[in-house]
Amino acid sequence: MGLRQKIIDSDFYRQMVQRRATGPLRAYYDIPAADPDTPVRDVEFVALDLETTGLDPKQDEIVSIGLVIIRRLEVDFSSCQHLLVRPKKELSESSVIVHRIFDTDVEQAPDIEIALAHILPILAGRVLVAHHAPIELGFLGHACKRYFGAPLQMPTVDTLVLALRDLHRQGQPMKPGALKLETLRHTHNLPPYRIHNALSDAIAASGLFLAQIAKRDPKGELELRRVLR
Amino acid sequence: MSLELKEISDFLKQHHPFDLLPDDVIEALPKRLTARYFRKGTKVLSPEQQCLHLHIIRTGGTETRDPDGQLLARLGEGECFGVRAMFRNGKAANNITMLEDSLVYLLPEKDFHDLAGKYPQFNYFFEQMGGARLRSGMQLLEKRDDDQLKLMSIRVSDLIARDLVSIDIGASILEAGKLMSSERVSCLLITQNGDEVAGIMTDRDLRNRVVAEARSFDEPVTNIMTPNPISIGPDDYAFDALLTMTRNNVRHLPVMKDGKAIGVITTNNLLARQSLSAVHMVGRIRKMTRPADMAKVIAQIPELLSNLIEAGATSRNAGHIVTTLSDAATSRLLQLAEEKFGPPPVPYVWMAGGSQGRQEQTALSDQDNCLILDDAYDPEQHGDYFKSLADFVCDGLDTVGYIYCPGEMMAKTDEWRQPVRVWQQYFNKWIEQPEPKALMLCSVWFDLRVIHGTRSIFEDLHRMIVTKAKGNRIFLAYMVGNALTHHVPLGFFKNFVMIRGGEHDRTLDMKHNGVVPIVDIARIHALANGIDVVNTYERLEAAMAFPSISKQGASDLLDAFEFISITRLKHQVRQIRDGDRPDNFLHPESLSAFERTHLKDAFSVIKNLQAALESAFGKSGT
Repeated sequence: MGLRQKIIDSDFYRQMVQRRATGPLRAYYDIPAADPDTPVRDVEFVALDLETTGLDPKQDEIVSIGLVIIRRLEVDFSSCQHLLVRPKKELSESSVIVHRIFDTDVEQAPDIEIALAHILPILAGRVLVAHHAPIELGFLGHACKRYFGAPLQMPTVDTLVLALRDLHRQGQPMKPGALKLETLRHTHNLPPYRIHNALSDAIAASGLFLAQIAKRDPKGELELRRVLR
Repeated sequence: MSLELKEISDFLKQHHPFDLLPDDVIEALPKRLTARYFRKGTKVLSPEQQCLHLHIIRTGGTETRDPDGQLLARLGEGECFGVRAMFRNGKAANNITMLEDSLVYLLPEKDFHDLAGKYPQFNYFFEQMGGARLRSGMQLLEKRDDDQLKLMSIRVSDLIARDLVSIDIGASILEAGKLMSSERVSCLLITQNGDEVAGIMTDRDLRNRVVAEARSFDEPVTNIMTPNPISIGPDDYAFDALLTMTRNNVRHLPVMKDGKAIGVITTNNLLARQSLSAVHMVGRIRKMTRPADMAKVIAQIPELLSNLIEAGATSRNAGHIVTTLSDAATSRLLQLAEEKFGPPPVPYVWMAGGSQGRQEQTALSDQDNCLILDDAYDPEQHGDYFKSLADFVCDGLDTVGYIYCPGEMMAKTDEWRQPVRVWQQYFNKWIEQPEPKALMLCSVWFDLRVIHGTRSIFEDLHRMIVTKAKGNRIFLAYMVGNALTHHVPLGFFKNFVMIRGGEHDRTLDMKHNGVVPIVDIARIHALANGIDVVNTYERLEAAMAFPSISKQGASDLLDAFEFISITRLKHQVRQIRDGDRPDNFLHPESLSAFERTHLKDAFSVIKNLQAALESAFGKSGT
């Protein structure tokens, strides 16, 4: 883990940034973060995936957010959310090809400010689960900083990092594509998904996360800190 | 509904009994679910543990064992566990252990009962699973009660076939009998004051209470009728009617509406609803005079088979029922032949061999049969008669749909239409001087069963065969050698060894590599121990009493036989549905992971018992 990330994930950093937060982000920080010593089965997680117009949070924008809550190590499908977000700029052709989201689809959608106001209360007090989390944290953090005065600090489990640790432990050479969400789901005997969008990828990551926890401790008694990124 | 959850509802739609729910209900269902993940080996439930969800297996598989550790079921994708807990106030009844890493969907108890309350078919499926005692894993796995489901959806009023036939309470037995005869009904309602039901009278009453008691026909019907009969309402389900009849041991039920009788339903009405019922088909064949007409009935066998399998029949049941039909066609053809060529000049008996002999026919059958004639047979005098008879029947069977035996093992062939003394010589030679070519014949001619004619002709011959074969070690060793030539398609690491190349590339031959080896093993144990039955299940059941096979071995082999046979039948049924010609070649990918595991288990059982066979009887000659 890099020093920068260590600092960003620290309590000290959280206390520092939350003072500058405004609006819904302030309310987010008012709810304390999950204690890293809690057994995972008592922690609530939110698996989240974003679709964006590119990979650079400074230039590119979020076009959709999918999320699902995990409680007591059960994925709760009733909590599923799938939000389209209206970008400030017109959608580029390449991102339309990737996500199949068109300008007309997002015309009626809320802009990112409103979308954040909707999801921040869901994120509060929970732990983020994402496959390759720097993307999600980068985009959400950038947007928070821009609209609500402070970055987003959130305890995070990165299923890709957990998979990487598993592979390192097994000491096997890594095959190309071994860390892709689909491949990892397959190795854990999870069903394939035909549809790809923010919500289905969030659900896919939630299933993988459960499998990774079950592999470490079927009873779910291990502490949260052992799976945080 | 969002597209992503459609993935889950689509999955549910593919599985019974969720497929019985209306689309809008099933599409709303994913939102009610949660998902859990279990590692292989995790014990998910144990008896009396709290279980507040119906568990639906999304991927992976489980094993159910009762509190004593007895295996009850193995479940795979799309199947449910925790069912009994739903009917026991959220207390699990059995031990559930994961056999594989599994993703499981959980439906809350309350939602389960909401669905069960609203959709009787859905409820019925689970009540059967949860309420009935689970006998074996396989039975649960195959459990389907579509027939009952059909009966559940038909109302009694739909079953009333004709207008009510009734007679006034003042009538005599004679008058009642005459009315029944002229109206061609098997029961009569006795009414008073117009349409008030006073009693019911059936043809059984005429037999038991009139003829058997030598009662005068002039007595009033009231003396023999059953007063105040049990009745049923027009809006009740056909299923309830069947239950009422079974419970009260009656075959007729008056249908009452607002205190008045509107009709009678009989067990026949209920059976007629299953228009393809085998009994009905047999009845039709017995009335037919032309093979071409019989062919139309026999052509329905695939459909019959597919209904049977769907209704949860075992392959043993299915084989028995399907064979009953070829027996019926054979007997009918023999009757017709005797009408055509006159009565037989000397007694004869018509025997079925092979799968018909063993009562193990499937959708695919050719004919194996022979004629055994009384020793009074004289070829000069009687040869033509029996030649004509055999040609008539074999050609008839071919027209009906049982194609000629490729090995010509038919009564049509001169060699297989012989008097008892010749047959004795044949069997003597096969048993005392076994040779590879003769062994092929043994698989057909050691599985003989009487179909028609003078049974006693066969009985003496049969006694001789059983006694002779029993004591002959060399013969048995030859049979073993032959049986071991059928290899089970399992490799060293328990992977399937499939056919390579050709028309059946990458398939398993379920007949020659699955069914035949078991049939062979059962035959050897039967012959070695003087067991005279020919059905493979019966042979193995009988063999358990002898030391040549262990009780456990025989019982494992019975399970393996049932599983392989039913898998083969299901494969054939699937082909029939897709409009293909049924065959024995199965692609393992068409099975679920769980079925594949089970199939491998079944093959390794065969492998083990083939090895045991070799050590019990030795191997020689090949």
